[in-house]
Amino acid sequence: MEKTVQATIQLDGETVNFATGETIYEIASRADKFIPTLCYDPRLQPFGACRLCVVELKGSKNPVASCTLKATPNMEVTTTSERIEKFRKTLLELVTSENPTIAVSPLRSYASQELSLLVERYAADTQRFAGEHSGHSRLDDKNPFLLRDYDLCISCYRCVRVCAEQEGDYAISVMNRGFHTQITTEFNGILKDSACTFCGQCVQTCPTGALGDKKALRFAE
Amino acid sequence: MLLPTDPGSTDSELIERWRGEPAPLLALLHAFHDRDGYLSETALRAIAQNLRMPLADLFGTVTFYHHFSREPQGLNAPRICTGPVCSLRGGREMLAALASQGATAMPCAGRCDEPVPVLQGQRVLVGTKLDQLVHKATILPPPNPGGIEECVFAEIRQPGRNTLAGYRRTGGYEGLTRAVTTMTPSAVIEFVRQSKLAGRGGAGFPTGQKWQAVADAVGQPKAIVCNADEGEPGCFKDRAILDYDPFAVIEGMTIAAYATGATRGFIYLRYEYPEIAASFQRAIDAAVAANLVGNNILGTAFHFALYIRRGAGAYICGEEGSLLNSLEGKHPFPRNRPPFPVTHGFENLPTAVNNVETLASVPQIMRRSPEWYQGLGRNGHAGTKLVSLSGDVQQPGNYEVPFGLPLRTLLYEWAGGPLPGRSLQAVTMAGLSGGFLAKDDLATVTIDEPSIRSKGSMLGAAGMIAFDDRRNMVEVAHNAMEFFAHESCGKCFPCRIGTQRLTERLAGASPQTLPIWLAEVDDISQTMKAVSACGLGMAAPLVIESLVRYFPEQVAQHVAKVSD
Repeated sequence: MEKTVQATIQLDGETVNFATGETIYEIASRADKFIPTLCYDPRLQPFGACRLCVVELKGSKNPVASCTLKATPNMEVTTTSERIEKFRKTLLELVTSENPTIAVSPLRSYASQELSLLVERYAADTQRFAGEHSGHSRLDDKNPFLLRDYDLCISCYRCVRVCAEQEGDYAISVMNRGFHTQITTEFNGILKDSACTFCGQCVQTCPTGALGDKKALRFAE
Repeated sequence: MLLPTDPGSTDSELIERWRGEPAPLLALLHAFHDRDGYLSETALRAIAQNLRMPLADLFGTVTFYHHFSREPQGLNAPRICTGPVCSLRGGREMLAALASQGATAMPCAGRCDEPVPVLQGQRVLVGTKLDQLVHKATILPPPNPGGIEECVFAEIRQPGRNTLAGYRRTGGYEGLTRAVTTMTPSAVIEFVRQSKLAGRGGAGFPTGQKWQAVADAVGQPKAIVCNADEGEPGCFKDRAILDYDPFAVIEGMTIAAYATGATRGFIYLRYEYPEIAASFQRAIDAAVAANLVGNNILGTAFHFALYIRRGAGAYICGEEGSLLNSLEGKHPFPRNRPPFPVTHGFENLPTAVNNVETLASVPQIMRRSPEWYQGLGRNGHAGTKLVSLSGDVQQPGNYEVPFGLPLRTLLYEWAGGPLPGRSLQAVTMAGLSGGFLAKDDLATVTIDEPSIRSKGSMLGAAGMIAFDDRRNMVEVAHNAMEFFAHESCGKCFPCRIGTQRLTERLAGASPQTLPIWLAEVDDISQTMKAVSACGLGMAAPLVIESLVRYFPEQVAQHVAKVSD
């Protein structure tokens, strides 16, 4: 029998093993590399929306999204470079321009500080591209569990994907397109009238606090 | 078959009509939309239940398409083109005058050679004044003055070419007959590969290589998808082919199917060409009746079924991943690549997605030879390209040019140059996606991808819109960026937010000094070009980049005006 050769890639100049099907982001995470993301959740299918996780790939003119790129033997990947850091900072400045800049209570959800931590790390100027805001909070949704403060939404669709992929409820989706994208239920109603089971998965994966745990917030009061 | 929806059909009749068909969702949505004049909540509930789709997904997906109306009477509300040419020909004034009738703006609807199209229900009227709107046939491509040999347009001006009898009289189906009765599928692929035919939708991928990959891929049934979602502003070439030479597209798809082993084909047709949905279906029916599509084609063991599906207003559905998602009834976001459609296309099966023009070239190549096709190009380039030329020139229209033709020859000798007393200021490339060429570059560039790319632009699908010295190029760029923002799908961050912020900077928001304005625009543009998830976001900044490059004085004036 032929001897199995362990497949490897070059990651920031080091040789790293990988298993078939692993993405560059997964390999880099195992190697304790820091790669920023906003649309990534390890439980969900890679989505490739936020583009923060782009890395340099030898042979590719443009950087590539590491979350969707499956490793093939002998790839040469660099997780950071001057231009990549600039793209990441510009992306964060674009993302923060969508929404009002406010400090979000960590009690809103498990992941709620992801965006603000990245903004801090990259010293992104949240006012640089200030312009029209996107997303409309649904304060008319009076359910006692889930706060739907979409003024803070960055349209990463983690909530939509966790609802479909983890819960199988398909209660929420995306309406409209482009800058006018909005997380919605069927017919843009309130959660009580939808297929939502109030499981709270969407809240815990939200990286900005646009979705919040009303019970936790009540308890803090 | 695509039958006009009987106004008396019940919900369950409509559902039964489409439920067992391939790619049923768009067809079923259109059936309800046509019958009711809008998509009601009841209709969506019935469709979701019967197609076993989550209702929230269906609702979200319907709102993605700007031509699906969710308001009663919405189908028949006028939609008026406010594309880059029509905006200069009264489109916006007509829109304002009809606002009380519920009129809405629509992006470029592919009538740039005869503005302004007004879409109402299943018909398109054209005219530059509201009281002069008429139904008119598509303009035939004007012949070129030099008598230069054509491929796609070689026979298109023959009377009756769009009937099966007329098509066969002028060489139609010689190519398919030759392929199916005398050649193996791999010989057909080799033939096309040698011709150097490449994707004419703009990507330029070698057609033979694509077909080979589909033929080699594992999985059945395979599919041929004709991308007829011509949505790039300034492009109207596919409309001419579909109107006057539908059998060339059908024959090209059938040859592609034979070569790749595909057994089903889809024509994904843009919503803005409603008359073509009907006429093309009649062409398919005629081909089926003559045993040129369907089972045992030309008495052989080769089977190929062909279906039309209409889009509903979404430029991004011209991107092949979005198109395939749309056809499958999914939310039309682009797909992450790899895998590519040749292995994971329609329903995750091997699929060749080809542009209308590419497919219409194939029958001519098959009845002649690869050498003949290659020889049509100049300076070492193979073949021809259809150019949709519009805007401020004497004779707008679709022209078939040999690759390598100097741009100035097309502009000045073929299309008669600018209007009397005017001079050309700029010409867009790739519709809007390539931004502008201007100044000396207009005189030196040749019509081929390497030459145009060397100027920081691209040929793409070869829409070209000319603007003369009267035009404010900042306004033109603003209109273009508004289009990209309107059509951005909303999935990837750089495109969704970047197109919005660039539009604001061209409109006058965020008063800044010029150096700051330029730095902001450059950072957004570079980021979008490098890391956007698909071609829309990568190309959208070219228009503002070319504005800054060629017209710095107009930019300076704009920024000074805003910051005052």
